[in-house]
Amino acid sequence: MKWVLVGGVAAVPFVLPSQSMVNIAMLTAFSAFLGQCWNIAGGFGGLTSFGHAVFFGSGAYTGAILQTRYGVNPWVGLPAAFLVGGLVGAGIGAASFRAGLRGSYFALVTLAFAEVFRVLSNSLEFTQGGLGIAIPLKVSAWNFQFADRRATYAVVLVLLAVASGVAVWLTKGRMGARLAAVRENEDAAAALGVDIVRTKTWALALSGGLAAMGGVVYGQTYLYIDPSIGFGTERSVEMLLVAMIGGAGTVWGPVLGAVVLHVVADVSRAFIATPGFAPMVYGVVLLVIIAVLPQGLAGVWAQVRGTPGGARDA
Amino acid sequence: MSQFLRLSRRGALAGAATLAMPAIGGAQAAPVKVGLIHPVTGALAGAGGRCRAGGLMAIEDINAAGGIKSMGGAKLEAILGDAQGRPEIATQLVDQMAEAGAAGFTGCFASALGLAATQAAAKYNIPFSIDSGIADAITTRGLKNTFRFFPNNSTATADAMAALGALNKAAGSPAKTAVIVHEDSEFGTNSVKLQAAMLPGIGIEVKALLPHATPTRDFTNIVLRIKAEKPDIVLISNYENEYVLLARTLVQQRVDLVSTFSISGGGFNLKFAKEAPTVAENMIDFNHWHNPKDPRSVAFRKRVEAASGFYSWEHPFGYFAVKLLADAWERAGSADKERAIAALNGSTMADHFMPYGPTKFTNGQNSGAHPVALQIQKGDMTVIWPNEVSDAKAVFPRPKA
Repeated sequence: MKWVLVGGVAAVPFVLPSQSMVNIAMLTAFSAFLGQCWNIAGGFGGLTSFGHAVFFGSGAYTGAILQTRYGVNPWVGLPAAFLVGGLVGAGIGAASFRAGLRGSYFALVTLAFAEVFRVLSNSLEFTQGGLGIAIPLKVSAWNFQFADRRATYAVVLVLLAVASGVAVWLTKGRMGARLAAVRENEDAAAALGVDIVRTKTWALALSGGLAAMGGVVYGQTYLYIDPSIGFGTERSVEMLLVAMIGGAGTVWGPVLGAVVLHVVADVSRAFIATPGFAPMVYGVVLLVIIAVLPQGLAGVWAQVRGTPGGARDA
Repeated sequence: MSQFLRLSRRGALAGAATLAMPAIGGAQAAPVKVGLIHPVTGALAGAGGRCRAGGLMAIEDINAAGGIKSMGGAKLEAILGDAQGRPEIATQLVDQMAEAGAAGFTGCFASALGLAATQAAAKYNIPFSIDSGIADAITTRGLKNTFRFFPNNSTATADAMAALGALNKAAGSPAKTAVIVHEDSEFGTNSVKLQAAMLPGIGIEVKALLPHATPTRDFTNIVLRIKAEKPDIVLISNYENEYVLLARTLVQQRVDLVSTFSISGGGFNLKFAKEAPTVAENMIDFNHWHNPKDPRSVAFRKRVEAASGFYSWEHPFGYFAVKLLADAWERAGSADKERAIAALNGSTMADHFMPYGPTKFTNGQNSGAHPVALQIQKGDMTVIWPNEVSDAKAVFPRPKA
């Protein structure tokens, strides 16, 4: 019944006559997807990353470079980005976790990696430096460019379903149990035989691979990426924010967080004309949620039902 | 039930009276809605706000002059949107405004926003008049709805090199070497690439390219590197704060130069000239500006200064981006998209005070649009090149400190 209801709500934008409303739904689902990607590592694994844009940007550049330099069909960019994002995640994970970095040290390292990637993409001829990459406008489904925003929404919805499916699997499977054990107490998990480095690296690689696919979708939707769009801190903050606000370490947290944050942002933008006031309202709502709901929005439901509310403080 | 009927009758009478009013007073033409999309919060808020202010002035002027006359005096109505410097928000605004009935768009100050917004507007085939956003790609992607009254990056850089070459030659070629300082995103990188390729053609050897991030809050190291290279001139391409900081540091470190020359120098404006007169004096920038010999430009500048105290090139950009659309609707006699786009393609708008001549669009780009060389002299902005529109003689090389 629950899934029928969720499916029904998700299908509503397909029958909306307004492209603008569909676009809001698409952006909300896209935020939820990126938040869910962060949640896989940050929420379920306690790997609080401040630099998840490194994966998003890697994916965006993978798709754009394959298409503009080598003429590869942009749909191929999706699996390619998954591989590249996964490899970047595995690389960062292996380097960080072998060195024993965790908590705020790991957070800072991820921030540094994103910045390194931004500087590299800004400097290398291969990525066209600060010029960025403009993807040629050629609207067709074969070319992964859609005239109707419903099609983009459908693609994003599929990605969100995949990422949420991974989240559900983590709540039920052995890998999820290992991750939770590592998140709650690394030493105890190690004593029980969990390979800490491998488990965390795997989670970061999976999270990175999925987030990288989001980069391809962004590139195909807006047809331009540059180092700031790809690897800027704003994207990293958005990814962790929707998960944190919704409830990190829960399946529905990122979705709830994205819906609430987008509703607040879009409604305040639509009704408040004074420049700067809408972002201020957004900031106040964030502060209130953080202060009043330390377990995130999903935590409210969990409290009502008397079940644990995720892994916010991991 | 009877109360419901009574209310319905009253409502019907009120409705009928309201509907009858225009017929009694003469039909009022439906307003033409213009979407103005700019970043008015965030890092680009200042410049975006000035483009918006210019656009609103144009709407005010057009309406005061009787609206679009060929459409029965239809008034223009602004729909304002804050893109916040994010392409996805610019796109969202296009959708919202299109559904609100926008007949045309102007925007978006930054190229990244313009690229996203124009392609979104292309899906509705609504004409988009770019006010600022210099990237060539905005008008080279084959979008039929996109028009730029102002110069693109290739033209600006080629003209800048021609201006520098002419100024240098006229002074006996005192500048033989250069160092280029540029910010490292699309704007600075694109400019520097073209400059570095063209400078040898005007007899100036490039000794070093010095990129920096935005923001950068200390230019000491960059200026020390400039001193080490001992160039004759320093070319600058960066944004407002960095431009001013670099200029100050060059003076503080007593770097001996024939001149400084920037292309679209972000901080080269009247505010800089007033706040740091000794630093700004005799600096040269190649940028957008009005034709100072046209009296309308002088009146326009005074009007902006009276309203906001600070005039910059973004004001006429915002202003004429809207005027271009209005001119097309006037000649088309309609706000119909196809007819407006056809009118823009055939546009010969000469009622403006930019140094461009009548408009002539080739693939959406006004081929007559050219920037000018500016120099701050005695605390004011002067045009020093080309001669046809200049109002001052160039100080080049600049006097020794």
